[in-house]
Amino acid sequence: MTRSVQPFGDAAVLVDVGWSGPGDGNEAAHRFADAVRSLGALDGALGDPVPGLGSVLVPFDPDGVGVDEVMERLTALRATTTSSTAPRSGEPATIELPIRYGGTDGPDLDDVARRTGLTTADVVELHSSVEYRVLFLGFAPGFAYLGDLPDALSIARLDTPRARVPAGSVGIAGRQTAAYPFESPGGWRLIGRTDAQLWDPGRPAPALLVPGSRVRFVPLSA
Amino acid sequence: MTPAFEVLEPGLLTTIQDGGRFGFGHLGVPRSGACDPWSLAVANLLVGNEPDHAALELTVAGPTLRALRSCVVGLAGTDLGATVHGGRGLATGRSHALAAGEVVAFPGTANAVGARAYVALPGGVDVPDVLGSRSTCLTARFGGLDGRPLRAGDRLASDRDPGDAPDGLVWIHDHDPEPIAEAPIRVLPGPDAGLLDRLAAIHWTVATASDRMGLRLEGPAVPMPGEPGDRRPHGVVPGTIQLPPDGLPIVLLADAQPTGGYPVPAVTISADLHRLGQLRPGMRLRLLAVDVRTAEAARREQAAAFRQGRARLAELAGWDDLWRSARG
Repeated sequence: MTRSVQPFGDAAVLVDVGWSGPGDGNEAAHRFADAVRSLGALDGALGDPVPGLGSVLVPFDPDGVGVDEVMERLTALRATTTSSTAPRSGEPATIELPIRYGGTDGPDLDDVARRTGLTTADVVELHSSVEYRVLFLGFAPGFAYLGDLPDALSIARLDTPRARVPAGSVGIAGRQTAAYPFESPGGWRLIGRTDAQLWDPGRPAPALLVPGSRVRFVPLSA
Repeated sequence: MTPAFEVLEPGLLTTIQDGGRFGFGHLGVPRSGACDPWSLAVANLLVGNEPDHAALELTVAGPTLRALRSCVVGLAGTDLGATVHGGRGLATGRSHALAAGEVVAFPGTANAVGARAYVALPGGVDVPDVLGSRSTCLTARFGGLDGRPLRAGDRLASDRDPGDAPDGLVWIHDHDPEPIAEAPIRVLPGPDAGLLDRLAAIHWTVATASDRMGLRLEGPAVPMPGEPGDRRPHGVVPGTIQLPPDGLPIVLLADAQPTGGYPVPAVTISADLHRLGQLRPGMRLRLLAVDVRTAEAARREQAAAFRQGRARLAELAGWDDLWRSARG
């Protein structure tokens, strides 16, 4: 991304707020999305801001407002929010995801251990030792990208994605981990499975994990 | 409400779609909604609905439906050869009265100019709102009819009395959307516009692997130089042109996931979005780079054409309330 605020078609603007790499919980993006949401509450033209990694996409109604005006407003908003270091209001509590590692629940656990030169016990210990942050959601409803996976576990995706990954499967890829909210195709290496209800469109809060959530995996003894 | 139709054959992919599901992109929820929102709006106006009410979206080969009582449907989008069994053909861009017991099929035609048709019922197709929309989210299986395409035996009810709309209304407006097959899709340069000139010089073909998530294009590959691993995923919208490592573009449609990690050479202008929804496998597609002013002018022109068509329809129908909202 070359410019910090740029048109993304004529019905959205992409705002780069920066991401410094592993260790950065994407706080700037969450804070900016919060700010857009409160701005959007003032006039209906701005849509739901979608955080990416170090960026926020802001869709808008092109019949209600022009690209230039949205760019101006978001540029001004970016200047005020990125200078702020105050913590976000309503910081969510840490969500614990019970997980069963290995076996049929985590069919790639042994392979991950072999490829990383660790024991399976080390992989489990490392994966469950970290408090993760939800960096952003995507891929599917309720699918939260969690960072950062310990560097020792960093691993490439499967060369060929699985056609069917069972609901609740927990996978790793690169410096991230995630749980599949429902059965879908998927290319992450599966090391365990959780019974947590990650996605339910009938709930007032359909996604268990939201941008900025803190998450811990709690191993269940087999 | 008594069901208006029974589904005898479901067709290739028939789903319930409205104007889309907004406000949940940050939770990973696709917008869904009609791939061709213009035709959805026309079908709805023909039976006195708001433009974004829930209707049936038919794909290439549509369903066979039996009317369970006398009813009126609004038909818009591609002509899929709609025919009442043993009788008359049903033109697109028009409302049609059906008698109880009549069976209507949308078999699709070899010379169809597009991919999708829309069938609207008075008041909209009656299914529950999920997250503020009746649209079917196929990937996560919610919305519409239990999150799935229609199947044989389904019954479709409408929010209003299904006979409560005039027969024979015709959609007329002066600025028809550009003929789909001919005109290029207009795009604005995206964050990775470096390869846009090369992409725009190619005559692409829509691949058979295309679906409601996106059009996959076939042609000479244009791979993005550099390391793909360093990219930061960001939000995307329907109409985004993505360039995966194989160098063959994907044009995102209504069911696209709301974030993506591939380079984005361009984004389709909003006035051309509905045309993407009418491209079917085997059709040709070209990209034409334009500027923001052109995109905004095209949008205004389209909105004016829509208002005009809506006002004429209101005159024909004599719906005072529709007329008022068309002027407001």
